[in-house]
Parts: sequence; C-alpha cells; structure tokens
Amino acid sequence: MERSSTDLTIAGAEAPRASARPAVELRAVTKRFGDVLACDAIDLRVDHGRITGLLGENGAGKSTLMKILLGLVEPDAGEILLDGESVTIRDPKDAAARGLAMVHQHFSLIEPLTVWENVILGEKGGVDKAEAVRRVLECGDRYGLVVDPHAHIHDLSAGQRQRVEIIKCMVRNPRAIVLDEPTSVLTVNESRELFDVLRRVVREEERAVVLISHKLDEILHATDSVTILRHGRVIAQHPDSSQMTARQLAREMVGREVSLRSEAASLGILDAALSAAVDAAPAAAEQATRPVVLSISGATAITKDGRRLLDGLSLELCAGEILGLAGVEGNGQVALQDLLSSLMPLSGGAVEVNGRRVKAGRPGAMHRAGIAVVPEDRHRCGCVLDMSVAENLVLSDVDSYTSSGMLNRHRIRQRAAELIEEYGIVTPSPDAPFRSLSGGNQQRVVLARELSQRPAVLVAAHVTRGLDVGAMEYVNACVRRVAESGVGVLLISADLEEILAMSHRIAVIHRGRIVGEMHRTGADVERIGMLMGGEAA
Amino acid sequence: MSNLDSAVTLLDGAVRLTVPLGFAACGELVAERAGTLNISVEGMMLGGAFASVAAASAVGQPALGLVAGALVGMAIGWIHGNFSHRLAANTFVVGLTLNTLVLGLTGFLIADHQFNQELIDNTSIPGLSGIPLIGQPLFDQPWPCYLFYGLIPLTWWLLFKTRWGLEVRACGENPQAADVSGVQVNRRRRETLLWCGLMSGLGGAYLCVCETGIFNAGMTAGRGFIVIAAVIFGGWTLRGAILGCLLFGGADALQLTAQALGLHATPELLISAPYILALLAMLFFAKRNRAPAALAQPFERGLT
Amino acid sequence: MSAEGSVVLAKRRPAGPRLDVRWGGLGRTVALYLASIAVAFGLSALLVQLTGHSASSAFTAMYQGSLQDGGALATTVDEAVPLLVVALGTIVANRAGIFNIGQEGQLIFGAMIGAAVGLKVGGLGAFGMVLTLLASAVGGAFWAGLSALLRYWRKVDVVISTLLLTFVAFEVVSYAVTNPALLRETKVGGSITAAESNMLPDSVQLPRLGSPPDFNLSLGFFVAVALAILVMFLIRRTRWGFRLRLLGLNRTVARRAGVSEWRMGTTALLICGACAGLAGGIMLTGTVFRIQAGFSNNVGYQGLLVALVAQGNALVAIPVAFFFGALRSGGGFLATTGVPRDFVDVVQALLVLAAVFPPAFQWLRRRRRATQAPEPVAPQAGEAAA
Repeated sequence: MERSSTDLTIAGAEAPRASARPAVELRAVTKRFGDVLACDAIDLRVDHGRITGLLGENGAGKSTLMKILLGLVEPDAGEILLDGESVTIRDPKDAAARGLAMVHQHFSLIEPLTVWENVILGEKGGVDKAEAVRRVLECGDRYGLVVDPHAHIHDLSAGQRQRVEIIKCMVRNPRAIVLDEPTSVLTVNESRELFDVLRRVVREEERAVVLISHKLDEILHATDSVTILRHGRVIAQHPDSSQMTARQLAREMVGREVSLRSEAASLGILDAALSAAVDAAPAAAEQATRPVVLSISGATAITKDGRRLLDGLSLELCAGEILGLAGVEGNGQVALQDLLSSLMPLSGGAVEVNGRRVKAGRPGAMHRAGIAVVPEDRHRCGCVLDMSVAENLVLSDVDSYTSSGMLNRHRIRQRAAELIEEYGIVTPSPDAPFRSLSGGNQQRVVLARELSQRPAVLVAAHVTRGLDVGAMEYVNACVRRVAESGVGVLLISADLEEILAMSHRIAVIHRGRIVGEMHRTGADVERIGMLMGGEAA
Repeated sequence: MSNLDSAVTLLDGAVRLTVPLGFAACGELVAERAGTLNISVEGMMLGGAFASVAAASAVGQPALGLVAGALVGMAIGWIHGNFSHRLAANTFVVGLTLNTLVLGLTGFLIADHQFNQELIDNTSIPGLSGIPLIGQPLFDQPWPCYLFYGLIPLTWWLLFKTRWGLEVRACGENPQAADVSGVQVNRRRRETLLWCGLMSGLGGAYLCVCETGIFNAGMTAGRGFIVIAAVIFGGWTLRGAILGCLLFGGADALQLTAQALGLHATPELLISAPYILALLAMLFFAKRNRAPAALAQPFERGLT
Repeated sequence: MSAEGSVVLAKRRPAGPRLDVRWGGLGRTVALYLASIAVAFGLSALLVQLTGHSASSAFTAMYQGSLQDGGALATTVDEAVPLLVVALGTIVANRAGIFNIGQEGQLIFGAMIGAAVGLKVGGLGAFGMVLTLLASAVGGAFWAGLSALLRYWRKVDVVISTLLLTFVAFEVVSYAVTNPALLRETKVGGSITAAESNMLPDSVQLPRLGSPPDFNLSLGFFVAVALAILVMFLIRRTRWGFRLRLLGLNRTVARRAGVSEWRMGTTALLICGACAGLAGGIMLTGTVFRIQAGFSNNVGYQGLLVALVAQGNALVAIPVAFFFGALRSGGGFLATTGVPRDFVDVVQALLVLAAVFPPAFQWLRRRRRATQAPEPVAPQAGEAAA
C-alpha cells in the first residue's frame, strides 16, 4: 500500500484502517554480523491502536531489529508483513514509503537547515516552501507540538528537536512509528507530554507504536504490551503490561533474579533508586570533613559565534564523594567534560585541583594535575580505535615507559597484561586491535587506563551507556570502589535513576551553570526535574 | 594609452580570465557542499581544454569544442566519483592521480599532433556594450561568456531551490542523518562530481576555444587549485566563490596586460600574483566557520 | 564538533580500505594486484598503439633504460633515491594526519638554497658538500614552515596552502636564476648566459662508488636507505613517534594525553619539507649539479605518490620508489622510439590507480557481505544551544 507523501490526516478520516491483522509483524527475523548473532529468529507483533514496548538491555538486539524494519540493515532470514502483506524493505526511503517511521534521537536532523527543510528531506518531488511550512504547522497543531518551521535546527533545544522529529514522522502518515529511547533527552515534564502525544496518535488514529526502552518504569506505565529480548532472542511476550511488575520484567530482561535496589541505576527504576538512596545515608554525614579535590569557580566558555557553552559554572568536589550531575543532554555536560580533559580553554573562571590552579586548554594539563576522564563518547575521544589494546592502556602515561626517548615495549606489554587481569578485560592478546573488543571491554580499557594513574578526580560521563547490565554493574561497582578509596567522582549522566542510585550529592546543570545542589538523602525528584527543565525551584 | 582605455583593457582581461575559473567554481562549489573535496578540478579543466581543441579542430566548429570539453570533464568526474564514493579510495590520492594522468595524457597526445586554431568570435550585445567602462568587458565577449552569466543563477537554483540541491546540502552537513532520512549519500556525491566535471570541463574548454585557440601542455597551470581556493575564500557561497574567481582572474589579467599597460614589474612576481593573492585572501578573509561539516569525510553506512 | 569550527579540510583519515592480507586470501590479493597492474599496462600499450607508435618498442626502450644493465640500474637508483627521500618525509607528515602536497615546491626551493650555499663553499671539501645538503634541507623545511604558520596561526588548510606555495616557489626560483645578481651563471667573455646557475664545484658533488657506464651508487643512495631505517625506527619505537601516530589517529585523545597539536604538527611538516629539500639537494649534488627552472621535474609529486602507494610504510616505500624510479629512467630512453616522455606519467598514474584498486575492491566485497560493527555505536550527544 503506497503512501503519498502529501497525505495528511487532519480530520482522521483517512487514518490507516484498524484491522485484525497486526500493523507490523516480524516472523523469524534473523541477522548475523560475523560471529555475532544479533537477531535470532525473532517474532514480533505490533498491533494497530496499541503501544508495544520492546524491552531489553543494551546489546539484546532491539536496535538491530528496528534497523531491519527501517531498511538500514538487510535481514539474513525471516519475513516482514505489513497489514498481513509480505514485503521486502530495501532502504529507508522504501520503509518510509511503506508507512514505517522512526523518531531518531541523534541521527536524523541536519543542523544548519531549517525545520521545514528537515521535515521534507527524503520525500520525492519538487520543493515547495510554502506548502512545506503549511504542513509543518498543521501537523504541529494537530498533535500539540509547537515549533517554528523557519527556525534552524542548531538553535533548537533537545526537546524541540524531538518535536521536529515527530512531525517529520507524522507528516508521512505512517502506519507504524518506532521510538528509540525517546526520554533520554527529555525532562520529566517533556516526557509526560511525549506520552500524551503518543496516546493520542495511537487511540485516535489507530496507528501502531513501538517504544524501545531499557527503563522498566517507562515500559510499565507507557506501554500496552511488551516484548522482551535477551541476547537476540524473544524471551517473553506480555499482551498486557499493566499486569506485570518491575521485578518480573527485570528478571526476564536480565535472565536472573535482580536486586532492584542495587541495580536500580542500571534498570531505570526510580522508586528503587530512591530507596537505595536512603540506605546509603550515613556516607553523607562524613562529607563535611573531606578535603576539596576539585574546585571550579565561575567557569565561562564562549564559542566564536557567541554561544555560551559554560556560563559561570561553579562546583566543588570533595575526596571520596560521588557528585552526580543531573541534567538534560545539551546543557553544558560536554563542555564540562572537554574542559576537564584539557580540550577547551576558558574565557573566564578557574579550575583548581587540590588547591592548585590548572590552566584550561593546555594539552595534558588536567591529566597531569590528576583528573581522569572517562568520556561519554569513548569512540570519539576516549580511545584510539586503530591502536592496540596495550597502546590504549598506556597512552596517557607514555613517559613512564620511555627511556631516553625510546619506548620500552616489554614494560608496556607487561603493564598492559597487569591491567588486563586486574580489570578483567577480555581480549585475545594485549596486541589485539582495540576495535575488536566489545563495548563493555572497551569501556573497561578506558577505565583501567584512567584509574591506573591514581587520579585525584574521576569524571565519569554516561559511563554505562551502550553496555549490558552485567557490564553496567561492573562499572558502577568500580566507580563506588574508587570513591571509597578517596577519589572525588563527578558522575555525569542523563539517567536520573543512575544518579540517584550512585551519588552522595546531586547537582543540576542547566544552560552551562549549576542551578541547584542537594544531598541525596533529601533529594526531591520533582525539584530535580524542575531544575533540569530550567524552572526555579 | 589613455587611462580609460587601460582600465577597459584590464577589465576585459579580468572578465576573460575569470570566466573559466567561474565555470569550474560553480561546479566545485556544489561538489564541496555535498562534502566531497575534489582536487581533480585541475585535471578536469585540462582535459576539457584538450578535448575542446581536438573536437573543434576535427569538425571545424569551435562551439562543438565546448560540448566535447564538458563531456570529457564529466568522464573524469565519473571516474573520480566511482573510485572515491563507491570504492571508497582516498579521494586525495584519486584526485592527484587523475591530475597527473590527464597532464601526462594530454601532453603525450599534443606532442605529436597539431590542431587547427579555432576561436569563437566576440558577440557584442547591442546597447549594453555601450555602457562606459564596464560595457565592453562585460557585454562584448564570446557568446559562451553569456552562457556563464546564465549558469550562475542556474547553479544557485540547483543548489537552493531543488530537492536535489537540498539533499546535496544535507549530505555535506550530516551524511548519517541524511542517510537515515532516505537520501542516497554517495550517489549524490557522485552526481555532484559529474556536475563539477561538466562545469570544469566547460571552463577548460572556454580557456581554449574562446581565449587562446590552441592547446599547450599543462596550460591550466594550477588554475584548478585556484578555483578551490576561491570556493574556500568565498565561504562556500556562490557569490563568494564568483567574487574570488574575479579577484584571481583580475590578478591573472594584470599579469598578462602589464606590458600593454606600461607597468614594469618583474614577470615572476606577476605570474605568482594570483597564487599569493589566493593565499592572502584565505589568510585574512576566509570565513572559517562555514565549511560544510562533513567536508572531506567519506561516508559509509554504519560508520559514525 | 570541536568548539573551534576551523576550516580544516583533511580532518580525519578515512577508515576505508586497507590491504587485506590473510593467508587464505593472499593468493586472491596477489592475483587482484597482478590483474590491476596488467590492466594498467594494457591500457598504456593501447594508448601507444593508437597513436601510431609501437607498444613493444616503447616498453622495450623503457626496459633498456631502466633495468637492462648496470648503467641503466644506476640511473634507476639515481632516480629512485630522491623519490624515496621525499616519500619518507611525506610518510611522517601523513602519520600526523597532515596532508602536505607541496613537496615539489619545497624540493625546488630547498635545492635553490642548497645551490646558493654550494656555490660559495667550494673550498671546504667534503664539509662543503654536507653544508650544501643541510642548506637544502633547511630551505625545504622553511618553505613547508610557511604552510605550518598559515595553518596554526590562521587555520588555512595545509592541502591548499602547500599547493599554492608550490607555484610561488617555481616563480621564486625562476626569478633567482634569471637574475645575474642572484644565481644566474656568470658571464664569461661576451657570451650570453642561460637562465641557470653555475655548475657546482667538484668538491661539493656527491662521491660515487663505482663509475659510469658501469653500475655505480652515489652517496645519496646510502643516505636514503639510512633515512628509511631512521624514519621507520622513529615512528615505531620512539615516544615521539607514538605521539605522532596518536595525533594522526585521534586528535582529541592526543590533546587529552598532552600532545600539543601545533607543536607536533609543525614539526611533522618541517620534517616533510626538510626531506623534500634534502631530496632536491641530493639531485643537485648527485646528478644535475646546477639549479634551473624546471629542476624539480615532478620528483616532488611522484615522491608523494610513492608514499601514498606504500600506504605509509617506510620500508615498503623502498621498492615502490625503486619501481617509480625505473619508470622515470626508462622514460629517458623513450625519446629514441619517438614516443613522448609524457607517456611515463600516464603509465605511472595508471599504476597508482591500479595499486589503489585492489584494497578498495576487496573492502567493497567484504562490506557487501555485511560485516558492520555488531553493536550499535553509542549516539553522540549534540550540543543544543542553551
């Protein structure tokens, strides 16, 4: 059933017909990448008029499955049926033409272009600006998504960008919409708004929605039915999410009994995280006596075109404490990481480590002063994919393995072997290419490298992103252990659950400055949410 | 020679030398907006120049030379596109090698052959060419010059008003996002290389069939690289690129007409003037932040 | 996107095709290369035939000029040596992620400086020769240094600046050799002088092992081989080389680890220019003995191509340089067959394309068999404006 790109269901009269047949059905879909079986004979059924949750930890196969559905990846075996009809989806354009749409988080908007240009990108036919603007406004009105069609994407906030993404989907009158972890960039309020929109889309227009998430809360409250993936296979399918409990979902997702409290961070369970906070109360009392290891005062960084990446940011970190930095993505977290990685100079303000001032922007200065950073985008700035594991392990400290200018290969390999053992890194040999390691092991290498230098401060940014629960547990345990040994930890994360479960103290960052601080014991989630959204609390 | 006459001569020379650069710039701009840095412009122009003379001489029609030049330029663009954006070979290597190949091939072929000199005469636009000072340089030129005037708005329209142009610009800024939205990134890049080849070949052909009438080995002498500098200097806008070409073409003209104008300057200084000017222009006036974000970054699906 | 927003065009080395030599596929790889090279030669032969010459006599002449006997081999080595030296410098720069394509200009400028010094130090014996070579290297480094200055002070891209400076270098040298006050040869009696310098004094010329027409090697050969080993050692075994590679592979990590980009980058560019200049000096003191316009004779460009074909490996560059040198010296004999010398450039370009084709083709076939990364790459957070 071909869909014209100019269709627009305003009155709902042309909405896709609700049929007994599922909107989308995947039968025995299989995909293998080299040795890894990403999808193993997966059956999935997505019905009209319902929100289907797709739950699984990172690496379970959810993303690959959706990529198959959207034409980015070709399955090795299996069948895809749309409203009962068997189809082959060749590429994203084909998928769009068949009424399949996806709300991407980071990959689908072109920054220098305007909203209306982005919305019509990928369609066919000539460019009619007035018509495109009209469609954007109409669609926005219909779903309550306010956005200026003439605005450039680089001027929009994350929440606004997501609105554009949704409009981009909806103007094509899709029969099925996939949302991939949509709330990671949203405040609590924005998340609520999003789910309201979804409910309307689903109930009133009988479309089908697939919500991919690894957060149990979301699955429990926002979906009608849920399918659980583990290691590329469908473990369970529950036609009624409301019948489930978090514990059951967690057990099926991970494959074993899970203590919700200790793993609240990994599982995205707000309530469990809060109660875990209560357990750790005693630690907070000792904070007052610890020395300050990191002090940032009034840090300001302005780009050439006048954007303020950091706007008078001030914070203090004590030895042995975990300071969780909560905030919606795009409010200065990357700038802060860059600052503490010697990647960014300051136009104002100062950074001090153990009382000594460190020059911002000078290559290697922060590292030498004792700041270890595990960055959020490890592929881009945490490691060198084309070097070996051993080289990655020693690269920030090469001087120690040098005698009279020459590298001591033997000592490097020795040290690498020690670290590999200590951190449980799985690799055929220290000389194996870094690329060949799995995500979890790559993260371990970065951790090993940074922690082996006995830093005074550890900046851990989204450290568990992209990892399965086991790896997440390891990393979180590592962070806790490091803090106990006296290192000050700055934990940057967009996951409120992670922050609540891990931190002693919480600060909220918004628009490049700290807008609120509190101890975990008295943490008020509502207040944090409001601060994250920029409202005074 | 009176001052006015000198000025007109200079302007005339400037326009004549700008046109070949301008043709190529219209092509290279589109290619760079798509994210592909094409160093083989030099080869495309040179190939176009040779083909134009060969075809014009063979058939006796200089106008046909333009067509031949454009086609040869496109052929080079086709080879470059397939090596770089299908086989994913390093685009600099391919570009440089194509330049060397074309240089060697044309030098080889011209060594043994003689072509007839074929030139397109000036066509004067009545009325407009009477405007003092600029009338003659702008409106008393061979007719392909007027074709060039028309191609400027055409290029603008192509890049900013068509769907193809929108997709091209998307590929240059964020090829991953474009891919996910359904745009065929590498295919668009290959297509812009074809366009660049077409225009650069036309530029090279103009150089021969409208200016000199004959082909000398290596006659483009680095003009292709000046075109790249013009695009950068112009901040990747069409207007800026054409202005850049005018600047460098003017310097070139100054060098050629220096004697006629009574200017006594070292020949080497004059010859190197366009290049030095290009460097200075990029030094002081280049709008650094406007490069297409994905320029010179090859695209493969799955590789972020 | 870094906070700088610079116009750096050759920002990142593409991860693209690398030579895939696994035991099972070794035979297939070799076959692919042979096929590519055969096609390159075939096309060249076709070209020659179509223009009325004999392909067999052309290729025979090339063989005679390059490999047939001791004298020819000596010429080949003489041609290969400067190519190798240029390539080695280029490899260093490429490892730092810098794409210098101005070797031609750096070579000729360096040679000019070398000639200026060489003409004055005739009385110093072997020391004068060393000084000449050093001066050439310094000259080349200076010329490359201009590009480094433009890059790190004003963010002008290295690709373009080195290219444009090449043309300027040609004019500078041309000016110097036409000007009697500078380098133009001195008038003897009432004769007309040519636009070239005097011949270098004997003591400054490179000594040779053996003598023409038999096989002979100039000192330059040993310098080049020593340099190759030095470069290989430098890149692989030293801390400096490690940091160089780090910069080229990942600028961000390098900066975090304390590598100053402008210091390392400038050093790499200077080394590249110095090697190009040195190559010019070797040509000057080994084979040409005077400076003139057109001195560089494409050695710079071809040295660059050697580095690219050798895919950044200093030891592989040696046989590749030899091969390219053979083409050049073979080209010298072409005149006897009536085939224009440009033919060699054509063959060379086709061979480079032939060398580029197999890894690219293999890579394409591997990708078609879908070997993308199995796990989804973590998305990059965009910095939305506050």
